[in-house]
Amino acid sequence: MRLPVRDPSVGLGFNMTPMIDVVFLLIIFFLVSSHLARRENQLELPLPLAATGQEISDDQTRRLTLNVLDDGELLLAGRTVLPHQLAEELLQRGRSEPADLELRIRASRHVAYGAVSPILLDAARAGIWNVHFAVFDEE
Amino acid sequence: MTPMIDVVFLLLIFFVWTASFQIVERQLPSHLDPPSAPAGTTSEVDLDQQDFDAVVVKIDWQADAPQWRLNGAQVSSLEMVRDRLTIIAGIRQEISVIIDPTAAVPLEHVIRAYDTGRSIGFSDIRFATTD
Repeated sequence: MRLPVRDPSVGLGFNMTPMIDVVFLLIIFFLVSSHLARRENQLELPLPLAATGQEISDDQTRRLTLNVLDDGELLLAGRTVLPHQLAEELLQRGRSEPADLELRIRASRHVAYGAVSPILLDAARAGIWNVHFAVFDEE
Repeated sequence: MTPMIDVVFLLLIFFVWTASFQIVERQLPSHLDPPSAPAGTTSEVDLDQQDFDAVVVKIDWQADAPQWRLNGAQVSSLEMVRDRLTIIAGIRQEISVIIDPTAAVPLEHVIRAYDTGRSIGFSDIRFATTD
């Protein structure tokens, strides 16, 4: 990088270049970190395919995301939970959150229905009736 | 200008890299409780009983392939299930469809059945669970 040579007759000039460098670096840092923060809801999973999927609305509904991995492991809001913990957690949230709390189930397409149906039962018992399945669009 | 152009190219590459590889994710809404029932309840249904208030789509998993049954009658493929359901929808659209997979069925096929029911236009599709 070629720095401008200071002309003694003009006086002490202010060199902007390092500041711009740092500002760009900060911009990139925040872009990357915000991207990673959103990734929490976007864990890569082979979701089931469906033709009637709707676009995910970006409104202010309280939303709870539950990831179900290939081996049946449950991730609720980024934490691993066991099935009996999930039932308690859902009951607790069903009581404390507004009635239209939305449970979004992001389950792998390979996971057996036997691992998903207890979740539906737990949600129904907790009064969480607004359940969405995340899917990929069918080509 | 050179450092700025460097950085701008870097930003450009970053955005191209992050934007292109994400598959759009969609959602299938499902209401667990019928609106008439009080919240937090599940209703017990005897799925083996034949009646005209509900269509039961049973999915079994044998030899790594789904086996479809519609109200007890064996149906060879999902396309056949779709055809039969379309005929039923032509008679009674408001009938409940109950999807009853065994525990071994991969979710893929369950969602396909649900999706089929939605695309035909049934409004009341439920999932069966066993306690």
